[in-house]
Amino acid sequence: MSNLLNHDFDDEESDDEFNPAPEVDSGDEKGANRSDDGQSGKPSRVSNGAARKSREAEDDEDDDAEDGEPKAKAGAGGDAEDDVNDDEDAEGEGEDDDEQGGAEDDDDEDEDEDEDDEEEEVSGRPRKRRRRDRRMQFIDAEAEVDDEEEEEEEGDEDDLAGDEAHPDDLADLPAGAETDDRRHRELDRQRELAASMDAEKQAEALRERYGRQRRAAADVSLQPWQTFLPEADKDPKIWVVRCKQGKEREIVLTLMKKLDDAKRAGKPLGVTSAFTREGTTSGYIYVEAWNQMAVERATEDVQNLYPRSKITLIPVSEMPDLLRTQKDKQLTEGMYVRIKRGLYTGDLAQVYEVVNNGSEVEVRLVPRVDYGVSEDLNAPATDGKRKRPGGLTGNRPPARLFSEAEARKKMAKYLQPQGNLKRNHFNFRGKEYIDGFLHEYYKLPALQTENVNPTLEEVSKFVASDEAGDNLDLGALAQTMKQNASGADYIPGDTVEIYQGEQRGVWGKAVAVTGDIVSIKVMDGPLRGQTVDSSVKGLRKMFKEGDHVKVIGASKYRDEVGMVVKVTADRVTMITDATEKEVEVFSKDLREAADSSGMQQGISKYDLFDLVQLDAAHVAVVIKVDRDAIRILDQENSVRTLLPSNISHKIERRRNAVATDHEGSEIRFEDVVKEVSGENRQGRVIHIHRSWVFVQDRNRMENSGVFAARSNAVTTVAAKGGAVTSAGPDLSKMNPSLQRPGGPNGGPMGPPKTMGRDKMIGKTVMIRKGVYKGLIGIVKDATDSEARVELHSKNKTIAIPKESLVVKDPITGNTIDYSKFASGSRRPGGMGPPQSPWGGATPSSRVPNGAGWQGGRTPMAARGNATPAWSMQQDRKPAGWERDEGGSKTPGWHRGNDGGRTPGWADGSRTVAHRPNDGSRTSYGGATAYGGRRPQSTWSASSKTPAAGNHGFSSSSGGDPWATGSRTPFHSSSSSRTPNPYNAAPTPGALNAPTPGGPSWQNNSHAGATPGGFDAPTPGVYAAPTPGAAADHPTPAAYGGGRGGLSAPTPGAMDAPTPGARYGAPTPGAGYAETPGAWAAGTPAAANDDDPRYE
Amino acid sequence: MFFIHELERIITLHPSFFGPNARTYISNQLLHDVEGTTSGAYFIVCVMDTFDISEGRVVPGSSLAEYTVHFKAVVWKPFKGEILDGLVDSLNEAGFHVNIGPLDVFVSKSMIPSEIRYDGNATPPQWTDNGDQVIERGTHIRIKIKGTRGEMGKMFAIATMKEDYLGPLPSV
Repeated sequence: MSNLLNHDFDDEESDDEFNPAPEVDSGDEKGANRSDDGQSGKPSRVSNGAARKSREAEDDEDDDAEDGEPKAKAGAGGDAEDDVNDDEDAEGEGEDDDEQGGAEDDDDEDEDEDEDDEEEEVSGRPRKRRRRDRRMQFIDAEAEVDDEEEEEEEGDEDDLAGDEAHPDDLADLPAGAETDDRRHRELDRQRELAASMDAEKQAEALRERYGRQRRAAADVSLQPWQTFLPEADKDPKIWVVRCKQGKEREIVLTLMKKLDDAKRAGKPLGVTSAFTREGTTSGYIYVEAWNQMAVERATEDVQNLYPRSKITLIPVSEMPDLLRTQKDKQLTEGMYVRIKRGLYTGDLAQVYEVVNNGSEVEVRLVPRVDYGVSEDLNAPATDGKRKRPGGLTGNRPPARLFSEAEARKKMAKYLQPQGNLKRNHFNFRGKEYIDGFLHEYYKLPALQTENVNPTLEEVSKFVASDEAGDNLDLGALAQTMKQNASGADYIPGDTVEIYQGEQRGVWGKAVAVTGDIVSIKVMDGPLRGQTVDSSVKGLRKMFKEGDHVKVIGASKYRDEVGMVVKVTADRVTMITDATEKEVEVFSKDLREAADSSGMQQGISKYDLFDLVQLDAAHVAVVIKVDRDAIRILDQENSVRTLLPSNISHKIERRRNAVATDHEGSEIRFEDVVKEVSGENRQGRVIHIHRSWVFVQDRNRMENSGVFAARSNAVTTVAAKGGAVTSAGPDLSKMNPSLQRPGGPNGGPMGPPKTMGRDKMIGKTVMIRKGVYKGLIGIVKDATDSEARVELHSKNKTIAIPKESLVVKDPITGNTIDYSKFASGSRRPGGMGPPQSPWGGATPSSRVPNGAGWQGGRTPMAARGNATPAWSMQQDRKPAGWERDEGGSKTPGWHRGNDGGRTPGWADGSRTVAHRPNDGSRTSYGGATAYGGRRPQSTWSASSKTPAAGNHGFSSSSGGDPWATGSRTPFHSSSSSRTPNPYNAAPTPGALNAPTPGGPSWQNNSHAGATPGGFDAPTPGVYAAPTPGAAADHPTPAAYGGGRGGLSAPTPGAMDAPTPGARYGAPTPGAGYAETPGAWAAGTPAAANDDDPRYE
Repeated sequence: MFFIHELERIITLHPSFFGPNARTYISNQLLHDVEGTTSGAYFIVCVMDTFDISEGRVVPGSSLAEYTVHFKAVVWKPFKGEILDGLVDSLNEAGFHVNIGPLDVFVSKSMIPSEIRYDGNATPPQWTDNGDQVIERGTHIRIKIKGTRGEMGKMFAIATMKEDYLGPLPSV
């Protein structure tokens, strides 16, 4: 804002103070002045000092009086104008040294006036044209003056305002001459006086004069500011005038010149000041004057000023606001700002240096450089102007620290290292990059300094690169964040203190927070006990030394708990409980910690060595956990530091995940593996994710010893436990040809040999020795010497030497010694002579033994007839049953199907039917699956389990034996393999007969059988379920997890078969008879019913 | 500050101890359990010898018997503002630790007069004003508690020596 200060005005003010106006004398004048004020006189008063002075020269007193009045009105301006006065006085001194030396009763103003007078004298006649003056001439006591003025006016009018008036004039107006004379005389007098005074006195006089002024200034400053407020009728008014935007300052300067000129020309415009409020109201200037006319006159013919559009008077009440200065937010180094325009719009920047007196700052930015990637190098060079918009509108490059390497890649010619080598300082395409940051100069308006709200993430970019790390925490953020106080920082119960405003020093407990207003119950001082409302501005939390506090909010020490040791304004130094480090935080980020609250480490939810998902394609292992950041190593072995928020989620460790190593063997959790190539690093697998393994080598320091590798790039050095490993889906177990060369009986021959399923598996056994002696369980898995037995009594599976087991017949409860069992197993095979193939296949023969014991034989059948047997079985193992149903079975089916089943199988009908059916069916299916494996053979042998057998066979080459040995029925069923039978009867057969049984029956060509067969199967199946279940149960277990499905089937097959066997297979006749008998009634019906269901 | 404090504690007794000596056992158990421990707020220095042992009660579902024991004990509780003497335990750049019986007190840098500085090069490391005030391990020191914090089984405090008459005591 530029002020046009009217000297006269100032002087008058001072005059008032020091020259009590002889009001009596000038009463008339005053009156006149008043009237002037009322009309348009005031303006003149302000600016036409010169004219007045000429007159004043003769009557100082009058002048004073006159001055006195305006001064009172202009009281408000006093302060600012003192300086001006000083200047003027200085001038005055220079000019009227003598006069001053005289130090007469005249005040500064007088001197000033004198000065003016002198000017007038110098420049000749003062130019006056004020009407008021003219009027005054009548009022003034001294006619001469009036005359003179009149003359002057006339002269003005005639443009003959020369100082040396016409001789005639002089002659006419002796008064003027007199005036001159008088002034001369006065001057002389002053000179004399000055001469008579010694230097000391002079000095004293000077001191008195200026000292007074200083005193005056001091006095003013002590006055309450309210007294300076403008009053409607005593002070000049302010008008607002439109102008061209951006030219405000210029216009005001023009105006100043114009007013000055006008004044010099003796025609003051009556404008006291003009100013602009740059920035806040662009396109307007303000003119202070006594009336609008003055404004109009002053503003006309000024370039870029539009007085004609509108001149608005500012209400008095708003006038102070115009001049209220808002303290600019002081930018200091380290503060954060945001860029308002350009490529970096919205980006956070850090003030690096404030230059040009604060109007410009150098900021640090995380650069967005694309290093010419998107630039078409072959494109004809176009002017930069055209390119720029493209750069801006296109997707802007991501913000990354400047990379020398990348810059060199494509645009090396633009890259110039700068400065010393120590600093990473480059000039790239005309911009400075220091330590990876772009350094740019911005003008203040292009920066957003308020509401910057830097996020932790953004700040950390700046901090991370900072070696010192800590130094940014407070100093920098302090300024930036201070404005962001909100009610949210306070909760009732906080102890707060008002540190700004009238209530400064009041402290108490917050009792309520409403928006940004906090109600405080004052705890101390005169307001004690009262509740005071305060805005959050000017409010801060108060802590005392020894308080136990917790860091909340955005501080990087978030969640740290500690005790306060020092409080400085709003910064609190605390010692953390955890590390006993001193940290400094803002009080607003603190909260009183409950005394009992332990040291809850605000560490993130991710732990060291957690496997985390970064995005859909990336997983990583946490290798370092900091307070606010996490260091991870991803599957490509790249290491990054992330904020916890960048991590999508944690992947739970899958302990049973399996991968395949370089040699095809499986890798499991905690296996020791070694890289096949590269560094041949070795370590323990801590995570398996898809085809990647994360391996940790505790002997390596880097990345906490963790590295990632493709699973097929490592080879297993040592599996964690051999037994466990073998329990998995071991490929070798799935492929009979890889089977170890047989058990005790195993010969090195053909597939049959390889059938190695331990016959113990699935058997109910009793333990003979050891701590578990007497307990009964089921063999889930077995090796040559040991069996893993799932105990009935405890939910526990233990490994027991086989010698310590006796096999228990689940039906009869008879026990068979293991050794006998093992050897006897064969027998059943033998027994199944009909199934000679069975017998032949040793291993398989073994299997049958199962059948044997189950009584696949006639006896069995007999038993089987006895429904009770069934029931027994059922009773025995409900659990198993359920399990089977659970699904292992079903899958079994599926597998079987997929496995190579003939399409026939695949037809849904079966499958579907089976599934809904009980496990028994499924088990059947399973059998099929099994069939694929060796077990089938077993099966087939045992019961011929028709179905099972069939399936199995079909899939497995083992079929042969079947074909030959297995009963016709089976065969036929097995024919399933050979599409015919199946195909022939596929659906129906399948449906009805739970397959195996069914077809077999039919095939058997037992006339009656068919139906019976049907029924039987079904029932068998149904009934079987239970048993099946029983049987199943073990089996699956034996097989282990992945195989479960498969295995499940087997048992089912077994059981089912058995029944089947009883019925049809074995001695058809006998079995048959029985079956029908037994089942007769129920079955058929059931069967029928079932059928539809199946379908 | 020391107090005599009345306390209550439930002691369970295994059946094998049932018998004429049960009470003795309970007494021993109590002393063993309680003396020299801290609940976080105070330190139990000593159990006074008169206690009141309630009737035993067998806890349903287990064979243990429960006795409620009332007893009085001498306890010690540090207070904010209390001035205490202790032994310097360890020093580092950030301040030093003082042991006052069971209480671990930390005197941080900002609570040490500024003229006393850390000298890590001295042997042993010390805080000193290069005059007669030398604080090293084992120094007797008088400090004023500024804040206390208790956890189960542990007490912790911070203290200042930035006031008159605080600081190292002349060695006797």
